[in-house]
Amino acid sequence: MDQFWSVSLQLLEGFKENCILFGVTLLFALPLGLLIAFGSMSGFKPLKFLCRAIVWIIRGTPLMLQLFVVCYIPPLLTDGSFKFKERMTAAMIAFIINYAAYFSEIYRGGIEGIPKGQYEAGYVLGMKKSQIFFKVVLLQVVKRIVAPMSNEIITLVKDTSLARVIMVPEILKYAEDFTKINGLIWPIFYTGAFFLIFCGVLTLLFRFIEKKLDYYKG
Amino acid sequence: MAFLEVKNIQKSFGRTEVLKDISFSLEKGEVLAIIGSSGSGKTTLLRCINFLETPQMGNIIVNGEVLFDGDDPSKKKDSEIRKNRLHFGMVFQQFNLFPQYTVFENLVLAPKLLAKEKIKENGEYRGATTYKEAVESINAEAERLLDKVGLSEKRDEYPCNLSGGQQQRVAIARALALDPDVLCFDEPTSALDPELTGEVLSVIKGLKSSESTMIVVTHEISFARDVADRVIFMADGVIEEEGTPSQVIEHPQSPRTQAFLSRFNQYSD
Repeated sequence: MDQFWSVSLQLLEGFKENCILFGVTLLFALPLGLLIAFGSMSGFKPLKFLCRAIVWIIRGTPLMLQLFVVCYIPPLLTDGSFKFKERMTAAMIAFIINYAAYFSEIYRGGIEGIPKGQYEAGYVLGMKKSQIFFKVVLLQVVKRIVAPMSNEIITLVKDTSLARVIMVPEILKYAEDFTKINGLIWPIFYTGAFFLIFCGVLTLLFRFIEKKLDYYKG
Repeated sequence: MAFLEVKNIQKSFGRTEVLKDISFSLEKGEVLAIIGSSGSGKTTLLRCINFLETPQMGNIIVNGEVLFDGDDPSKKKDSEIRKNRLHFGMVFQQFNLFPQYTVFENLVLAPKLLAKEKIKENGEYRGATTYKEAVESINAEAERLLDKVGLSEKRDEYPCNLSGGQQQRVAIARALALDPDVLCFDEPTSALDPELTGEVLSVIKGLKSSESTMIVVTHEISFARDVADRVIFMADGVIEEEGTPSQVIEHPQSPRTQAFLSRFNQYSD
């Protein structure tokens, strides 16, 4: 029993890293994704193609590969003079870019799905473009994207364990250490419980938000 | 000089010329019905008047003020268009209410935003000098308009809980809340079940007064005959025939008007 608690505490220590990676990724990828979404809907062609190319590259390659690229390419290019002091920083950068690309497509779908009539109704009522976006369109976009967003965010929780491949000391790394050092296998499988609980809480949260937005249809 | 003057409006989408040199004028308090088959350019004309489309040529003048001049680029600036738009109100075929707001909020949203802006800029909005004062009169006006369209008891409902006819009546009240000089209707009953068109048409009819100038694009020929002071029949982007309802609908001169109207009469009598 004592062993169980000490393993739990150790794994929790590792899971803290997963949570930090999760939180920082969300914090930056959510707004960055919106910028990329606006870029890829822009009337300015070069910007539009640039944003769409970024999305294509990011979505078209594995996140694991992107982690390697962010972590190892800068030192290679600078002949080793630049290295990430904290591997976590490299993981964060890769995750933020990766998730911003996915989020941008969700935003784009949500924004483009708003009927043209909503904008036109705003225009004929003398509203400014910014007023139409913030007062009319935004909440409707939020309602439309809650479901796909929650899907993506729950995926992010589990993806954080990928940071393991560039030696970020996250929960799976801790669990593996138990195997190597103490000969314990079960902590590896036990990590699943941490992810399950976290995702369970998120699911409840998203359900709550969906309910909150359920007061109107359309 | 007429209250509303529309002169030589020309509008093309790519190579398709949708409006070919449209001119008409309207006196204050008049109701103009625009009829014609689909694709004749009626809706595009209405959208040009509301600046939802920019004509390549032509002028739009209200009360002597030039709101649009195809040759004057300064009239095509966003800020200018936004200001000039307020001379017109628009009721859409698909209502386009804001679904996340209640009926009452739909009515007051735009006036409140406008009041805030005007008071900041000029220290005044329709006689009110503070935002609070303005909001009070906006709210009172919204209540009055809801009563006028017979929906006072629905003030706190969301649009999704209303019938199509009720939604369209809210949309009419919402357009009136900004007190436009000319109120435009783009086929206001075309998206409604037949049994709901009556309530909307009678609300529009009830708005008719010496003060309210209206343009109604419609397929309801009998409504045009009963309510309109003047009727325009459009075909292929031109005004084919124009006059009083009795001239255009009862005694059409043009063979195209006759052909169009005879298709309606086939079933209606």
